Amino acid sequence: MINRTALAKTLIAGSALALLAGCGSGPASSNNSSNSSGPVHGGNLIFANPQDAQSFDESTVFDNNSIWILEQITQPLYTVTSDGKGVMPWLATGYTASADKKTYTLSLRPGVKFSDGKPMTSADVKFSLDETRAASAGWGYIDSAIASVDDPSPLTVVIHLKFPWAPLLADLSLFANGIVPNNYGGKTAAQFYQAPIGTGPFKWDYWHKGQAVKLVRNPYYWQKGLPYLNSVTWTDVPSDNTRELQIKGGQAQIDQFPSWATVSSLKATPGVNMDLFNSTETNYLAFNENVKPFQDVHVRRAISLAIDREAIIKAVLFGNGQPANSLFPPQVPYYDPSTPGYQYNLTAARQQMAQSSVPHGFTTTILIPAGNSDYATISTILQAELKPLGIKVNVQTLDPNTANGDFQSEKYDMSLTLWTMDIPDPDELATFGLDPKSGAKSFFTSYDNPTVVKDVHAAEVTTTPAVRQSLYNVVQTDAAQDAFMAFLYYSPYPYVTTSNVHGFFVTPLGNYHMQDVWISK
Amino acid sequence: MTFVLRRLVLLVPTALGVTIIAFFMIHLIPGDPARTILGIHATPQKIAILHHQWGLDRPLADQYWLFMDRLLHGNLGQSLYYGTSVGGLITSRLPPTLWLIIYAGVLGVVISIPLAMIAATRKDGIRDHVVRVVPLLGLGMPSFWLALILQTVLAVKYRLFPVTGYGSGILGHLHTMFLPSLTVAIALCPVVIRSLRASMLNVLGADFVTTARAKGIPGHRLFVRHVLRNAVIPAVTVLGINIGFLIGGTVIVEQVFAVPGIGNLMINSIFQRDFPVVQAVALVFGIMVVLVNLLTDMAYAALDPRVRFDR
Repeated sequence: MINRTALAKTLIAGSALALLAGCGSGPASSNNSSNSSGPVHGGNLIFANPQDAQSFDESTVFDNNSIWILEQITQPLYTVTSDGKGVMPWLATGYTASADKKTYTLSLRPGVKFSDGKPMTSADVKFSLDETRAASAGWGYIDSAIASVDDPSPLTVVIHLKFPWAPLLADLSLFANGIVPNNYGGKTAAQFYQAPIGTGPFKWDYWHKGQAVKLVRNPYYWQKGLPYLNSVTWTDVPSDNTRELQIKGGQAQIDQFPSWATVSSLKATPGVNMDLFNSTETNYLAFNENVKPFQDVHVRRAISLAIDREAIIKAVLFGNGQPANSLFPPQVPYYDPSTPGYQYNLTAARQQMAQSSVPHGFTTTILIPAGNSDYATISTILQAELKPLGIKVNVQTLDPNTANGDFQSEKYDMSLTLWTMDIPDPDELATFGLDPKSGAKSFFTSYDNPTVVKDVHAAEVTTTPAVRQSLYNVVQTDAAQDAFMAFLYYSPYPYVTTSNVHGFFVTPLGNYHMQDVWISK
Repeated sequence: MTFVLRRLVLLVPTALGVTIIAFFMIHLIPGDPARTILGIHATPQKIAILHHQWGLDRPLADQYWLFMDRLLHGNLGQSLYYGTSVGGLITSRLPPTLWLIIYAGVLGVVISIPLAMIAATRKDGIRDHVVRVVPLLGLGMPSFWLALILQTVLAVKYRLFPVTGYGSGILGHLHTMFLPSLTVAIALCPVVIRSLRASMLNVLGADFVTTARAKGIPGHRLFVRHVLRNAVIPAVTVLGINIGFLIGGTVIVEQVFAVPGIGNLMINSIFQRDFPVVQAVALVFGIMVVLVNLLTDMAYAALDPRVRFDR
């Protein structure tokens, strides 16, 4: 007969599990909430990111994951302040402007070196700005006001403008205007961006595509004593659950964008900090004015008035947001808190509907990308909220790529969309959102108000802040009253960090300076 | 040998079929990689520039011909999303997937054989019923859910394994890839256990086993040399077919455990409409399935000398 010893021997294989658990290196050290007297040097920090980087070519990349990593390597002449509303000198120390505001002379910071030890000079700055300006499929448009760049001395750069341009310093603070070595250090652009060199606190180590990007400390960094960390690694972890488990398991120290549903439980989880940073993210309901009856301002106003924004914030953000009243978010310069963006008022909504071309209602469709649970929830709420107006809303769910394509091709009735700022100046958003002749056709709505367009462009060439403020106040009011989009809500950036991570701060534009981050023992 | 060569030659039409299906299916799906990459900054002008750079403004037939021409020259093209060679991407991402499949296969066997033995030697007993019923939970449970449970318990609570990753070095891979492999193996085991148990019961009732027992061969030797060897042959076929099936299923496990394999690459590339990568990964998956089936047949022959493919 089959004896038990034989079976026991066979089953020994099962004990391999215990052995395997001891194999290899264990998980990263556990969370340690002990306080230290001050910043300490050392440590390797790991991000759990929902997406991999896409490219590190600063002149053409539009992907935020790539941009926020790239900003640790290359730096611009100016950088955004922590409140996201201004700029401060970074690789430049200051500037003087000519009387006609068409020539800016910038002084460069002495002693700045690239991560290969070579000094940064005006020739590098001229080359970098010229390269970005030439990127027709990239960020070239952001520098379209620049006529030419001169480098009269190693620490002086002169920028000649085609016309006075108020957002110049904000544009110069964009990552795409980061400074790279002249002629890419003798490489082609493609070769250079495989392992870019910059003046930032970290330098390139590796990028295992689809896995991780690792940067290590730049020994030549111009801010003495910084950075604190030895290295930072951004790992690609698409699953929200997995990222959360990595933080709890001590395998990562920062979780970028946990799901809103977990925010309150993470706030109560020992060993982790759940941070909600002010952001410029604004969510909108867009109306396609090429489709009837959305040309009718009364219809747009009625819908805007029928939306209970607080209910959406409660359902989607679990209360972590605020209703939007303007095209601009509060963290943008020249935001006007008194902008009369429509808020929930069902009586007023019915009055607007009664004045419209479709007083008894109509049937329409809202386009949303598949897999976006936030937008699915909002769509369901909108279906219920627009019903009292006689508006029947069908939800059209398409895969994200197709939904994005249809939105940008204006093949939709209504669609949900969002915006985050790239520069600390409203010009980019104002042009993108309100000028039908811009590439984005007024945020892909075909909204066209000539007065608004005129004011938007007037604010670009006016350098007096008070005048710009009054122009942008009018722009925000006009856009709100036209209800070309329903301004829904402003939401923060959620980040989870283990409690031994210190100094991590995200600006309203989404950028962060890893040079200030340290890990306590 | 002829059989093996014939099967290898059959790879060619299989691969060709895979390229045609993968190429036209991905192009049938609406969506545009240029829009994905440009995001909200997409304008018709910028999109047109990228389309021209990538050759997406050419007729579909031309694009397929170009793809095949490159393929025959050993060039899988450039990734639209990463801007790097597809061959390089796949080469770097294939090892984790192979680890996952092989490791899961080994774990599946290691788990299934003892359990099937317990069930077969205690037919209709409590142990038999437990072994037949409990593993079915693994079959019925979605792999992402099972993965979450394993991660929560074994990685977060007891910290025996990392939550995610691939690890480095042989021991690192063995350690890190244990949970993803176990997740795949648990789905694999129920079918193998049932098949193996049924075979063992058949063999245990065979005349040669009765004869062996009458000759006084010890139970352990009898089971390993006579029963298991004969019973394992049909189970190898079942295992092979299921591994072929699971190659496609690993994409979910790779996502949940952030394993940087080609399944993960496939999912991301579909979302990004990175046509060259999707086509190439589909081709690799197709070839892998054919090769697993071939290896299964070869293992069958090795275990049972009566099988002669050359006849």
